[in-house]
Amino acid sequence: MRAWLYLIAAAVAGAIVTTPAIFVLLLMGGSFEDATVASLATLMLAAGLAVVTMRDIIRCGLAMIVCFLALAGLYVALGAPMVAAAQVIVYIGAISVLILFAIMLTQDKAAPSRLVFQTQAAPAAVAAIVLAVLVAVAAAGTDWGAVGELVGAATTDIALHLFDQYVLAFEAVSVLLLAAVIGGVFLAKRERDA
Amino acid sequence: MGIADQLNTYLTLAGMLFAIGTFGFLARRNAISMLMSIELMLNAVNLAVVAFGAFVPDLKDDGAVIALMVMAVAAAEAVVGLAIVIAIFRNRKTPLVDEYDAMRR
Repeated sequence: MRAWLYLIAAAVAGAIVTTPAIFVLLLMGGSFEDATVASLATLMLAAGLAVVTMRDIIRCGLAMIVCFLALAGLYVALGAPMVAAAQVIVYIGAISVLILFAIMLTQDKAAPSRLVFQTQAAPAAVAAIVLAVLVAVAAAGTDWGAVGELVGAATTDIALHLFDQYVLAFEAVSVLLLAAVIGGVFLAKRERDA
Repeated sequence: MGIADQLNTYLTLAGMLFAIGTFGFLARRNAISMLMSIELMLNAVNLAVVAFGAFVPDLKDDGAVIALMVMAVAAAEAVVGLAIVIAIFRNRKTPLVDEYDAMRR
């Protein structure tokens, strides 16, 4: 019985991801890249919605990994494979695992949080939709000086930029990471009974 | 021109992901869910930055560098945020933010 449920869920998920690709490919006459971007975008948004709406917080964390993976795919589509690799290593490899560990440390089975949302969930949803519409309108109505094709940056150029023009920011980030490691250990360690 | 080579596609997508993260941050009760929503918002901003780097010739290399910086800062933020949540959980025995009301009573 359970296995059937999982099969049906997998079929629904596959349909959600492939439908926009087929739609773009056949009805809008898009190219193969359009179809890839459409299905990755749908996967990202669906996983993001799952992160904020699902009841079981472990599943929220796993959906977040799916969302980050789809986003890494979008970075590849944008011609930034370096950023995609960093996304997989930093977000999926480090931050998601950290969050999953924190979930396992802070959830107690005795009191499953039946009520997932605050009382302001409905106004929050309205505000979020308004925000999305505003961003879309602003993005469409502004001339960004963009060209109609990808101008992907080579990894060599990124490295030259990072260690030449942005070297001060790079060093500041290294100090910030050290401070974060020390601060995290200090905050999370159990206090000794003195 | 298809949807894959237009800047507006990616900016709209980033806006939608940011809105999803905003909703999660405002509506969830669990502190870790709120942190996950913040990660979603940071990722949305990163998508917008990388899209600008990919389509605006003046920002060709800067986009990727800024995205890498944002990732490093997001990692630091996640470490400190989760450590704070764990420390609070150890004192209050709950991850729900609306039960952290010690300063309201």
